[in-house]
Amino acid sequence: MENGGMRILVVDDEKTIRRFLKAALNSKGISVIEAPDGEQGAEMALNSHPDAVILDLGLPDMDGIGVVKKIRERSVVPIIILSVRDDESDKIAALDAGADDYLTKPFNAGELLARIRTIMRRLAPRQEGSVYRSGGLEVDITKHAVTVKGRPVKLTPVEFDVIKILVMNYGKVLTHKKILKEIWGKTGEPEDALHLLRVTISNIRNKIEPDPNRPEHILTEPGVGYRLFEE
Amino acid sequence: MKNNAFNRIKGKEFIFSALLVALVTFTGCFFRGLIDASNFTVFYLLAVVISALSWGMTASVFTAFFGVLAFDFFLVPPYNSFSVSDLKYIYAFVGFLITGVIVSLVASRSRRQSIETRQREARTSALYRFSNETAACETTAQVIGAVRKNIGELLGCSAAVFIQNADGISPAGSDADFPLDAHENAVAQWVLSNKKPAGAGTTTLSAAKAFYVPLGTPQEAVGVLGMRTADGRVIFNTPEMELVTALANQSSVAIKRAILEERSREMELAKKTQALQAALLSSISHDLRTPLVSITGALSTLSQDFEAVDAVDRKELLLAAYEDSLHLNEIVGNLLDMTRVESGNLRLNIKQCDLRDLIGVSLKSLKDKLEDRAITVDLPGEIFELPVDFALLTRVFINLLDNAAKYSPAGSGISIKAEALGDEALIQVKDSGFGIPEQDLEHIFDKFFRAQKPRQVSGTGLGLSICRGIVEAHGGKIWAQNDPDRGAVFFIRLPFNSGKRRD
Repeated sequence: MENGGMRILVVDDEKTIRRFLKAALNSKGISVIEAPDGEQGAEMALNSHPDAVILDLGLPDMDGIGVVKKIRERSVVPIIILSVRDDESDKIAALDAGADDYLTKPFNAGELLARIRTIMRRLAPRQEGSVYRSGGLEVDITKHAVTVKGRPVKLTPVEFDVIKILVMNYGKVLTHKKILKEIWGKTGEPEDALHLLRVTISNIRNKIEPDPNRPEHILTEPGVGYRLFEE
Repeated sequence: MKNNAFNRIKGKEFIFSALLVALVTFTGCFFRGLIDASNFTVFYLLAVVISALSWGMTASVFTAFFGVLAFDFFLVPPYNSFSVSDLKYIYAFVGFLITGVIVSLVASRSRRQSIETRQREARTSALYRFSNETAACETTAQVIGAVRKNIGELLGCSAAVFIQNADGISPAGSDADFPLDAHENAVAQWVLSNKKPAGAGTTTLSAAKAFYVPLGTPQEAVGVLGMRTADGRVIFNTPEMELVTALANQSSVAIKRAILEERSREMELAKKTQALQAALLSSISHDLRTPLVSITGALSTLSQDFEAVDAVDRKELLLAAYEDSLHLNEIVGNLLDMTRVESGNLRLNIKQCDLRDLIGVSLKSLKDKLEDRAITVDLPGEIFELPVDFALLTRVFINLLDNAAKYSPAGSGISIKAEALGDEALIQVKDSGFGIPEQDLEHIFDKFFRAQKPRQVSGTGLGLSICRGIVEAHGGKIWAQNDPDRGAVFFIRLPFNSGKRRD
């Protein structure tokens, strides 16, 4: 099994959710350790050396974002946030604090496993150089080359920078703030820079998406940011 | 000395009176010696009457005395001297004086009465106007506004109305220059509790800056009226006091009526809300229970008799439970949206959004339901940006697209189109279905309304009312029409500047 020997920490105060996650992950050969609150969760994330952490944002004892910060002080372990709908600001805060990804409750086991796999793959040492391949899209970062179904695509330098940062973080949500900072060196989210980002994303989609009206590669996370989807 | 205006006005009366006497005397001089001097007294009396009617008693008594002196000096022989040659003139003087004073009394009283009548008429018409104005008011605030305006106009003072509430009394409306502070509030509180006027110009709590009268009946006070003139003079004279009392009575009636009306409106609203909540509850409990029945049934069967159920049925049961749990999640999502829209404190996170991106996200979340549909998206230009709450407007598109899929034949197309019309964006979502019965077009956005359809379509009847709530919160409008060819078209109009207004 590709997940063999993997160990994941689940931090959630709801016993039924821990039980469901344990069953779902165990069935894929992943062992699970559990923490019912933020205090124990942070402690176990640092001392029990799990391969990844699944963290519920709504914990009884402390703010989930606080837990993320506490873990990030000493560890780079991948963190996946579980949150409810309609609180983009919490998701953004958790991502900016260092969380790797988020899932909106309720979610199904398949989605969760896909996210975990993506993160693990991203962290694993690359075997095939630096070429990214997904659904007909190929991005060779070292050669500055992008092809769609074998046809080369001409991107402007800024467009390439955006696709490059998405590729380097594929599967992971990048907040607007983070992209603006990395590409344009902007702090905060000034409207003119956000406009530039929207236009750039729109242009990239026109060039790489089979149907730019229904994007399959660059996905929008409403109110949060963008994610490069890997098949 | 204390009042120049006072002196000047008084002086004017005496000057005019003296001029009258001078006129009579001057005219008399032409007839001096031609007629008997005592005849002149008639003309002097005329001067006294005119003076009494025009300027009141003091002036007319002055006219009488001054007239006697002028008469004696100029018209009674020997002329140009106060000495009198004939004793009969002394009688004439005395007779004239007595008559003059009596005439003064009578005439000035009639003058006073006519002035009072005029004042009373003015007051009556002012009160009439006031009562008309307050009768037209619908809310307490409007009544209080009218009270303040009229008090200001009629008495030339600033006013404040204090209304009784749970914690005592508080100003419900006051003119800008009215001295509101804790002390004045305490005086108003005293007036309310004791149902007696108090404050400046009275003997009770006279240190107050304004004068206060209670509003309401002796049995039930509704509030207090405070008044203060611009120069700080709060002492009203008798007619002014009468006007104050009359205005206070009228105000009490009007305020009480407005309070009662507001209360009854609140009660009616509460009743309506209650009825709505009951309907909501019964509809929701049905919608929630249906999927729960299947989920509970499937899972209880499997947990109790796992071995007895064959593998195909097991899979079938689990799939049914899973699908129904998704449906349940959809209902809960709709209910949450509805609550947010209904509660009126829908917090919009308005940012410029790329409409194509927004539609893309909506289409993606309906991927399974729209699998067999040809969807055309027609947007103008390179990028079509709108100031909206991305997540909320996505809910609108998801609901509209979900509806389009539900109410049109499988495999038929759906089209989305947007254009800029001046300072607004017009977005259309069109299906190729059966359309909406004409009589339902107006009601489909109402809560729980579901158009009668030839086939069973599941839903909560909340989707479109959520859409309306969200679009209206953006300052936009949503409506539906039937396409002359086929299908229903939903229109959304959104202002390009809503972001500026909201933030």
